[in-house]
Amino acid sequence: MHQYIVMRTGYLILTLFIASVFTFCVVNAIPGEPAEVLAKHLFLGLEESAPPELIAEVSARYDLNKPLIEQYSEWIRGILSGNLGNSIIYNKSVGKLLELYLPPTILLTSFAMTFAIITGIALGIASALHQNKTADHLIRFITIFSISMPSFWVAVMLILIFSLWLNLTPVAGYGEPKYIILPLIALGLHSMASIARIMRTSMLDTMEKPFIIFSKAKGLSRKKILFSHAFKNAFLPVLTVIGMSFGSLLAGSVIIETIFTWPGIGALLMKAISARDLVVIESTIMVIVFMFLIVNFVIDILYHVIDPRITYE
Amino acid sequence: MNTVLEVMDLNVTFPTRAGAIRASQQVSFRMQKGEISVLIGETGSGKSVIGLAVLHLLPEAAIISGKINYNGREILSMSEKEFSRFRGRDISLVPQNPSGSLDPLMRCGKQISESLEIRGISNLKQSTEVENILSNLQFSDPKLTAASFPHELSGGMRQRVTTGIALASEPKLLVSDEPTKGLDYSSRKTSMKMFLHLKHIRKDTHLLITHDLDLARMIGDTIHVLYSGEIIESGPVDEIFSDPHHPYTEGLIAALPRNGMKAMPGMCPGLIDLPSGCYFYSRCPYQCEQGKTIHPAIIPVNGRRSVRCHRFSR
Repeated sequence: MHQYIVMRTGYLILTLFIASVFTFCVVNAIPGEPAEVLAKHLFLGLEESAPPELIAEVSARYDLNKPLIEQYSEWIRGILSGNLGNSIIYNKSVGKLLELYLPPTILLTSFAMTFAIITGIALGIASALHQNKTADHLIRFITIFSISMPSFWVAVMLILIFSLWLNLTPVAGYGEPKYIILPLIALGLHSMASIARIMRTSMLDTMEKPFIIFSKAKGLSRKKILFSHAFKNAFLPVLTVIGMSFGSLLAGSVIIETIFTWPGIGALLMKAISARDLVVIESTIMVIVFMFLIVNFVIDILYHVIDPRITYE
Repeated sequence: MNTVLEVMDLNVTFPTRAGAIRASQQVSFRMQKGEISVLIGETGSGKSVIGLAVLHLLPEAAIISGKINYNGREILSMSEKEFSRFRGRDISLVPQNPSGSLDPLMRCGKQISESLEIRGISNLKQSTEVENILSNLQFSDPKLTAASFPHELSGGMRQRVTTGIALASEPKLLVSDEPTKGLDYSSRKTSMKMFLHLKHIRKDTHLLITHDLDLARMIGDTIHVLYSGEIIESGPVDEIFSDPHHPYTEGLIAALPRNGMKAMPGMCPGLIDLPSGCYFYSRCPYQCEQGKTIHPAIIPVNGRRSVRCHRFSR
């Protein structure tokens, strides 16, 4: 087990390295000269055209004319020494920016994930237990709908219904608890639906297993069969889906935070991309990748805790 | 005498697209208290279906008719709710496929305790009771077995654990469905030894469903031979083995390794298109004239035995 954790940590570092190379390349491959976009953002406004002297000056000041490999190694060296770099447009260190923007994102994603897991599991089990009855059809309709609709559309619809028509929640913002309701639903709905669907399938599959029939023959109550035997066995595939949907949840947070003006790293990333604040883009993506890897690392350990057959030798 | 189980004219049919599968036809037998009755037959002879019918565990699609009396009460027509009080209290099952029948995520001891809990045995006494049960089942280290997960045990050990689960509920009727199926030679021997030991110490009323003639002979009192869903011969074990009446039973005994492994010619008929005459006609060494067209009835022979063969009707 300890050996496994060491090995996994090695893989984690390797994945982070590959992700950093990839991120760096993609960020620099975005069409439009970074220096030009930056110059407009900093001094002119996006509709103006930047004079060549200004572009050259911006380029020189922020080391944008250095070879890419040098820019990359400088960035990585900074990260290794604990310095994530400096934002050009915010005039702050990226570390300072994350200190401000990361907590709201962690708050939102953990609430959205909790919502997705609890409702997903509950709906999945309810659906399986009422297989092919009205409740099942209704739940399957809801989940198919939630999976198919893009989250930005869901977000806008939620605002329209709950904020504008029913006047129950604020449109957007951050601060009091009521502000989190709509963003967490908009963000978690897709994951909730994937979890519910896999929970249903897995539960139905498990209920047919010989050990469930034997549990019945043993005279166990239905409640006991469901919760002591069926649920635990049916949960393993759900755990995999939870890990994967955490990825799409983080990706979704970029759009959802922008729509609801939620001051998280998703919104930060969005702004940084439009201003070509390169270091902020790169470092923020690395933080997101890191969060995803850590969650999946924890899930791999959980597998072992739940299923004794899985050993990490 | 004390009749524990009485099965009368049990018919089980599974409707399929290809036609109705008649898994069990007009099966009747009775069991006295403390008796070990063996249902013997090859795969597809309908023996497991009878055991599952006794426990109300047949799939919902099955069409069932007939009567099953348990201690004088008709249980076949009971609702699921009514019958669920019998499972694991009065009647318990040693399942086929012990590996799949144990919950892979729960320690074996805990799975046995679940049966004890139903009997209302307190948590404190459960672990000693589990160890008692396991040591009766030929386990050398009951503590270790109780703490093991099913995947840590061999197939034979899992078989004995499932038997332990069934016995933990102290059933008045034990139904075991092919307990030695798929076991290797030495595990099978240990399981047989265990069943013999249990017979001596517990005197359970036991409906043993098997294709293992050696096991049947070793522990059985009465035997019912099944062929194509029907009982074709019944009687005390030693009499059937020493003097089989039905040509199929003769064939089975002759096919045992120690009797020279003489295989019977042919195959048993499919359960969808059964012949109108005797089901065994095409393989029968005697091939009597009536057998071609007339289906034989079960005929009592010498009081304790009966056989479904025209040669015994006079």
